[in-house]
Amino acid sequence: MNVAANDNNGKDPIIRVENLAAGYGDEIVFTDVSFHVNRGEVLAILGRSGCGKTTLFKALIGLLEPKRGEVVIEGDKVLPVAEGGSQQIMRKIGVLFQSGALFSSMTVAENVALPFRQYTALPEKTIEHLVLLKLNEVGLAGYEQFLPAELSGGMQKRAALARAMALDPKILFFDEPSAGLDPVTSAGLDRTILKINETLGTTMVIITHELPSIFAIAHRIIMLDSDEKRIIAEGKPQELKAKSTDPRVRDFFNRAPAEEANRL
Amino acid sequence: MQRITEIVLKLRKRLASGTGNVPSAAGVRAPEFFLTLDHPADDEVQVSIAGEISMNSAGDVRTQLLRIVQPHGIRNLIIDLEKVEYFDSSGAAILTELGEMCREMGRSLELKNVPARIQSFMDLVDAQRLKTGAILEPTRPPNLLVQIGGGLLDVGRNGRDIITFIGATIIALAQDLAHPRKLKWDSLWNIVERSGSDAVPIVTILSFLMGAILAFQSAIQLRKFGANLFVADLVSLSICLEMGPLLTALIVAGRSGAAYAAQIGTMQVNEEVDALRVMAIDPIRYLVSPRVLAVACVTPCLTLVADLMGVLGGCLVAAFSLDLTPVAYFNQVNKVLEITDVTKGLAKSFVFGLEIATIGCLRGFQVRGGAESVGSATTSAVVTGIFILTVTDAVFAVLYYYFPVVWNM
Repeated sequence: MNVAANDNNGKDPIIRVENLAAGYGDEIVFTDVSFHVNRGEVLAILGRSGCGKTTLFKALIGLLEPKRGEVVIEGDKVLPVAEGGSQQIMRKIGVLFQSGALFSSMTVAENVALPFRQYTALPEKTIEHLVLLKLNEVGLAGYEQFLPAELSGGMQKRAALARAMALDPKILFFDEPSAGLDPVTSAGLDRTILKINETLGTTMVIITHELPSIFAIAHRIIMLDSDEKRIIAEGKPQELKAKSTDPRVRDFFNRAPAEEANRL
Repeated sequence: MQRITEIVLKLRKRLASGTGNVPSAAGVRAPEFFLTLDHPADDEVQVSIAGEISMNSAGDVRTQLLRIVQPHGIRNLIIDLEKVEYFDSSGAAILTELGEMCREMGRSLELKNVPARIQSFMDLVDAQRLKTGAILEPTRPPNLLVQIGGGLLDVGRNGRDIITFIGATIIALAQDLAHPRKLKWDSLWNIVERSGSDAVPIVTILSFLMGAILAFQSAIQLRKFGANLFVADLVSLSICLEMGPLLTALIVAGRSGAAYAAQIGTMQVNEEVDALRVMAIDPIRYLVSPRVLAVACVTPCLTLVADLMGVLGGCLVAAFSLDLTPVAYFNQVNKVLEITDVTKGLAKSFVFGLEIATIGCLRGFQVRGGAESVGSATTSAVVTGIFILTVTDAVFAVLYYYFPVVWNM
């Protein structure tokens, strides 16, 4: 249960991405992306809008079949879910989608119970207790019987996080967790994410472009670019902000507009 | 140098006559602007604009300016903005358009005495870099050949999707039937209630009326031959063999087929289907299988209700306008209607139910995008459903006729 694996020296990689290229139809969004994620690390994937973050995210979890290259999670290759996916991998990961993607016809408790019912043969009573525990962890105790539509955006995200964490997965994937959240709720979510990472040692891959979150929780980042269609920066966020010589990276971390966008 | 103030006078008159201006009684001040024309040289025109160029007045300003630019022989157009009191984006748009026009006509446009705030506004808009082009006109559809080709490709792709989907559904159904204990019975009963018992009122009313209408219309002809009694034959056989199953299936397609397309389509848009997939839950097994099973079993039950109500409807009309007693009517029905007639209709209904649910769910999964896509998927579910239903009905008619073995089902 340690968290020290935040050094970029290849120590114990749990996710390995090799020469990945992906896109939609004829359009290639990025080519030749290679990186790894160490066990227990919080990796943030950044970039300006349109650089391919969501595409990379989908390729990592198997929602999109890459055009080239592969993603390997703990030695198993990630297969596209449309063809059944890889069962061993799906047990180990949890995914928090951008809008939560809670099943709107079921209560929050039933949403969180779904992974248990799907993967385990636990008795109903145990599942009930597990659901209560998970919802309490994310601060939603008391809201078990609510339908997703009856919750605020922040609460929906936390419920979705409880569902993603149900089976204590080794890796959690987040797609823009702070999107649409006010600063206070966003900070609360960051703190929850940090707590999970520290106590459970869960590896986390976060797509985001919220600078405060990145500096608060990311051990390491990789940055994609839509023009170059590859990774243009990799490393610790504070170091990149202070020492990077690439103007695109500096603009991003210092929240400065790019040259051609000076007018508005 | 001539000072032409005709324009000013014309404008004053137009403003006074109240064309397009809100009367001050409403508390809104009519926007005022004045254009003053000058001819510093023979081929030059200088327009001084004074007053307000806002969204309210911009239309009029533009008309006036365009009228000034039109005449031949003008080389340079100078616009003096010193006395402009109010200027917003509409002003910038007009000046940009004027600049383009002048460029096209080979004339020069110059802005003179531009106040600082207007200058910074024009900088903000960055008019120089705007691309021209008709951006608000609807895109013209491609030519006929492209449309035909695209249409054929769509049909091909559609066909392939349908076949893949049917295959996946059959596998899911087989898995569910092989492991009935793993079925979620709660959601199954819920679906049965929504697609079945909730539809009973409308099925009852529609088939009752259909039976009555059939009896009513045929009575007119049958009376000529004194064959009143045979209205019982006509109504009971048509309803049980054809009208009952088909009408019920149409109702189920409109109610349940559309609902499933909309539900699953919205789940697609909300990434709920992706979430299912990532949790290794087969969306077909989870969403489609229970719906197909439920509707396939429910539609024959509804058809039975429809058959009964249709025959009753015929009885009502027969009793009231054909001088038949209900007893005579039902005796005749008993004589002519065989159990196989009813079961043939029920067998058709079962197949109809399978088709409706499958097509509804298929269209739901084909949704990509937002509300527009969900809307067209819902429509398509009903239309495709009706089409397939009718084709199936025809196939069954042929089947029953040419294969007496099936007759004795």
